[in-house]
Amino acid sequence: MKVFYALMILTLLTVGAAAMPFPHDWGTPGDILHVTIGVVIAVIKVIAVMYIFMHLKFDNPMIRFFVYVPVFLFFVLSFALNFLESWAYVH
Amino acid sequence: MSSALNLAHEPVTKIPHGKLAMWAFLASELMFFSGFFGAFIVLRNANYEIFGQGSAHLSVPMALTNTFILIASSLTMALSIYNLEKGNRGNARLFLGLTILGAFGFLIVKYFEYSAKWHDGLFPHQEGHTVFYSFYFLMTGFHALHVIGGIIPMAYMFFKMSTKKGYDHPVKVEVLGLYWHFVDLMWIFIFPALYLMIPYHTAAGH
Repeated sequence: MKVFYALMILTLLTVGAAAMPFPHDWGTPGDILHVTIGVVIAVIKVIAVMYIFMHLKFDNPMIRFFVYVPVFLFFVLSFALNFLESWAYVH
Repeated sequence: MSSALNLAHEPVTKIPHGKLAMWAFLASELMFFSGFFGAFIVLRNANYEIFGQGSAHLSVPMALTNTFILIASSLTMALSIYNLEKGNRGNARLFLGLTILGAFGFLIVKYFEYSAKWHDGLFPHQEGHTVFYSFYFLMTGFHALHVIGGIIPMAYMFFKMSTKKGYDHPVKVEVLGLYWHFVDLMWIFIFPALYLMIPYHTAAGH
């Protein structure tokens, strides 16, 4: 139940953070602060679901390997593309 | 939980075959959605105005409702597996039924969302359609297909549980649960990506 409540609260935090008007002259390219906060909260939620609901915490190391490789590639792709493209857009 | 299972037929991995296969399938599914997200990120940064306007037009309350529904259905799925492993068949059936209801609830909200887009002329080949809506329909459409793909085996297991014989296959329900949690995981990314990450300068009217 704790995970359930945490996921609900984190979802509301995501919506709240997206509505916050961060000044865009903080030296960050574009809306990178919004994106970073959104992605960080999403990652926390994903870890909670995978480790608790999907029992990854208690699972065989082989399964963890199966999971870590695509998840790592997914995040490398998402982060790299987002930051590089945001930077390219601004400059 | 696994210690109670007969794993003699899985001498090498000590993991039920179905579970290992489902994790492999989910890994491939993640890569499938990664392609969408990669293309979305690149095009979003190249079309800030279009994506900002498109995102601002989406209904956050509806998407938020769907997020809550999916999180709650993930919980009920986990509770169904837990109860089946403990031998509480009635509760397992009840929670699986609630999960199915959640899945239908998600699709109903999605239907209203799509209807509004149809009336606003945002579907492909309608005048308001942009590249943002191509991603919107592609990502949410594939996600909705995954929800439908989850309802079918869940309904099968639910009806099997309702019979006199019952359905004493906790591993199969657990494997289905993995799939259902994955559907929730994908929505965790789709929701902020499409509905919330409005390019700041567009949203602020710069």
